[in-house]
Amino acid sequence: MSHDTLALLQGTADMLILQALRQGPAHGYAVSRWVRERTDGVLSMEDAALYQALHRLEARAWVDSEWGLSENNRRAKFYTLTPEGRAQLRAEVSAWKRYASAVFKVLETT
Amino acid sequence: MIPHGTKRVFRFPWRSTADVRADIREEFQFHLDMRTAELVAEGRSEGDARAQARREFGDEAVGASACARVDARVAWRQRASTLMADVMRDTALGLRLLIRNRWFSALSIAMLALGIGANAAIYSMFEQTLFRPLPVGAPGELVNLSAPGPKPGGDNCNQAGRCADVFSLPMYRDLAGLSPGFSGLAAHRAFDVTLTPSRVDRSEWAMGMLVSGNYFDVLQVRPALGRMIAEADAAAAAPVAVLSHAYWRTRLNGDPTVLGEALLVNGHPLTIVGVAPSGFEGTTLGFRPAAYMPFPVRAVIEPGGGKDLENRRFHWVYLFGRLAPGVSLAQARDALNAPYRRILEEVEAPLLTGVSDQTRTQFISKEIVVTDGSRGQSRLHAALNTPLTLLLVVAGVVLLIACANIANLQLARAAARASEMAVRLSIGGSRWQLVRQLLIESCVLALAGGAAGLVVAHWTLQGIAMLLPASAVDMSLAFALDWPAMIVGAALTIGAGLLFGLAPALKATRPDILSTLKDQSGQPSGARSSARLRSVLCTAQIALAMALLVSAGLFVRSLVNVSNVALGLDPEQLVTFAVAPGLNGYSADGTRAFVERLETDLAAIPGVTSASASLIRVLSNQSNGGNLVVEGFTTDLDADTNVRMHGIGPDFFATLRMPILAGRAFAAADTVGAPRVAIVNEAFAKKFNLGTNPIGRRLGRRGATALEIEIVGLVRDAKYSDVKGEVPALLYEPYRQNAELFGMYFYVRTALPPEPLLTSIPGVVRAIDPRVPVRDLVTMPQQVRENIFLDRMVSVLSLAFASLATVMAALGLYGVLTYTIAQRTKEIGLRMALGADAATVRGMVLRQMARMTLVGAGVGLLAAFGLGAAAQSLLYGLDGFDPLVVASSVGLLAFIAMAAALAPAMRAARIDPMRALRWD
Repeated sequence: MSHDTLALLQGTADMLILQALRQGPAHGYAVSRWVRERTDGVLSMEDAALYQALHRLEARAWVDSEWGLSENNRRAKFYTLTPEGRAQLRAEVSAWKRYASAVFKVLETT
Repeated sequence: MIPHGTKRVFRFPWRSTADVRADIREEFQFHLDMRTAELVAEGRSEGDARAQARREFGDEAVGASACARVDARVAWRQRASTLMADVMRDTALGLRLLIRNRWFSALSIAMLALGIGANAAIYSMFEQTLFRPLPVGAPGELVNLSAPGPKPGGDNCNQAGRCADVFSLPMYRDLAGLSPGFSGLAAHRAFDVTLTPSRVDRSEWAMGMLVSGNYFDVLQVRPALGRMIAEADAAAAAPVAVLSHAYWRTRLNGDPTVLGEALLVNGHPLTIVGVAPSGFEGTTLGFRPAAYMPFPVRAVIEPGGGKDLENRRFHWVYLFGRLAPGVSLAQARDALNAPYRRILEEVEAPLLTGVSDQTRTQFISKEIVVTDGSRGQSRLHAALNTPLTLLLVVAGVVLLIACANIANLQLARAAARASEMAVRLSIGGSRWQLVRQLLIESCVLALAGGAAGLVVAHWTLQGIAMLLPASAVDMSLAFALDWPAMIVGAALTIGAGLLFGLAPALKATRPDILSTLKDQSGQPSGARSSARLRSVLCTAQIALAMALLVSAGLFVRSLVNVSNVALGLDPEQLVTFAVAPGLNGYSADGTRAFVERLETDLAAIPGVTSASASLIRVLSNQSNGGNLVVEGFTTDLDADTNVRMHGIGPDFFATLRMPILAGRAFAAADTVGAPRVAIVNEAFAKKFNLGTNPIGRRLGRRGATALEIEIVGLVRDAKYSDVKGEVPALLYEPYRQNAELFGMYFYVRTALPPEPLLTSIPGVVRAIDPRVPVRDLVTMPQQVRENIFLDRMVSVLSLAFASLATVMAALGLYGVLTYTIAQRTKEIGLRMALGADAATVRGMVLRQMARMTLVGAGVGLLAAFGLGAAAQSLLYGLDGFDPLVVASSVGLLAFIAMAAALAPAMRAARIDPMRALRWD
């Protein structure tokens, strides 16, 4: 891992995955690519950890999974955001925003 | 898109661990392939790209197993919640169906309640008397000791065990000193005492327990208060006592300050040093000691009691021990027998006098027998084993019949629901789901039956308690449902639910969809095999009912025999009780004066025709005996000259209405100073070849120097210690010539109803000395009933169970016949249309009944013979095969079967052919 990438905290990774699934069902590889592209490679996580997070989110019923066909016609496991997952994402995003703005406020006043 | 939640129904419910892992592997592989392809597209070489993809992915193995763990948890949770939801749904459905089929449910629940209740009640007694270990530390390590064989000198035993089981106290001390296989050997002996706590000025009879100093240590019983009796107490003959928890709580209000106070035992003060823990009541089922005290105390509290402590020829204490760690029962026994034999040979054999060489050899080759002691020592174990096992079997049979009946009803309902099942199977319901639903319906029914069964069990136990003598109810048996019985009840409930639910459920869900759907209008599929199953069930019920009827008949007949036993005395209008002035400090002379005055005062009660005292409580398992030398009866040393003995007052025979055949009764003048006289019974005269007129013959105790006793009378044989036993050779002596009087039993005959005496007698005794308590005050018929309580309990319960079984079997028969007729309405209508008359149709139904009854009764009789053979020891005056009982049972069963079949047969005969043929 290079110096200009930041390791992700677990909660943050969950939030990013949920956010990635907001667009619609996606397989793990698509989620991984989405995260990499959206953060310009700054935020990174190992893919093994990403899959653990996906399975964990499914265990919490925030995402649902189903086997389907990928864009190149291979069997792939697709994850879908559940209504509970959507609500969880909203809650996490607003908490994160309040957290970040508080931190920024402190940083800007000094 | 498919609505959320729908797809779960079609997902295969159980995914194996291998499936889960394969999915994860495939998911990861897809990712790696996609990433590799992407990198190759960016211009990397294939190998380089794959390596990069793997690097980015991280540790595959760790990731896979982490995912698998999460997935497995999810799968398990899903499975559980699906099952839970299904069970809840099925339960709700079951309840709805139960409420809808009100009659079916009520009948089934009633039958189950009776079956389960009877089982729980009998099991409760079974568990308490035959299974439950003592409430002490590690009861499994305890063993009981016994030494069967000649016991020269004397022996005395009680409910704790047979006379073969007792030891002398010196022998106990010797053995306790050298018992390598045991971590401790303890001794105990129960005896009657009067107890008067110093703060309560009222004495009462109670049971005292003499114990060795290590008794509580060996049992590992810790005090609830203060301390227990210790080795030092026994060694120093310390006058101390430990109270039972029950006595302390009820008589002393559980006051902890009683420690250090005095407890008067037979008027002699002992210091209360501790209280035993709640629930500990000694080691003998049926005994509830109020106080424990060290053996040497006996010398103080009982006149002449000290001599037994050192007497090697008096056997009276019970021994038990705790096996040392790692020592088996057999090892401990062998390790104990070597020193035991040495003691017999070197110490005790020299004490033998007047015995043959044969007896001496037998004596020194005695062996100690070691048996499991986890339940303590009690004769009740052996006495109750057969009757309770039998009743448990009988109760189990009642439950089986109930289950068979309900299974039959279920089969009828299953037939009615066949099309529902077929439709559900055809639209994709799995057979397992349907079976589960039907089984849950059965279990809901069973649970309702089990709940009602608890009430029935409670009543049954109350009923049994009424059959038992007051002394037995007072003993440690609790006539309340306890946890083990509840658990057994619950297990029976579930078992019954499966038992009567499974066959109908499998039958109803047989995937024979097509024929059922096609056959909507006519008979449901499998009607014929279902009818056969129902007939088999019904026949089995009849067989079981037959077996129970025969065995109940045997027990009732046995009870009749026992009740009609010629006692040789007249128990009607007779009242009996006991007093023991000796326990209140009266001397032997004082006691004699007390008893004589009481005899006079009792005879003066209005309506009383005579009253007399005696040393033995007749017909209550008491017995006293010894060996005699009789004039003119020459014997070798080993001849049996043992007789039972009884000390009686002048009016004893008149009061009990025992006719004197020759000579005279005792007179008031037969006192200590007068020539010694005796009266013998017919069995005595026969045993010693005295002929019909033994008057004037002389006899003496074996070992006495002269034959100083003269026979002055011959009395008709009468039962002595129990109703069922043979009349033994009996020697009656006047108690007034007895030097050591202590306590007496009284018999009062009245010309009026005896019940008022039960209230007036204590007043008469109080008038002489208010401190002397009256005990065992009952009418004589009651005492006789209590002596045969086991016979009464077995016959009443088995009769009740057999009646129940027969009624249920009759219901089952009725149900099957009714159902068959409904099934065959069309056929019967056709036959009638073709000219069959009502009699033919009736005959058809009755023939079906007769077939089932004949086969059932035949099989049942075979089972009954087995049952009768097993219960032989409980039968009195008849054997396991009694033609009268068999004939009347068969007759009764045939009559009841006929009654059950009559209504269906009539109904069949009234079928209107026109309507039946149109009937769809």
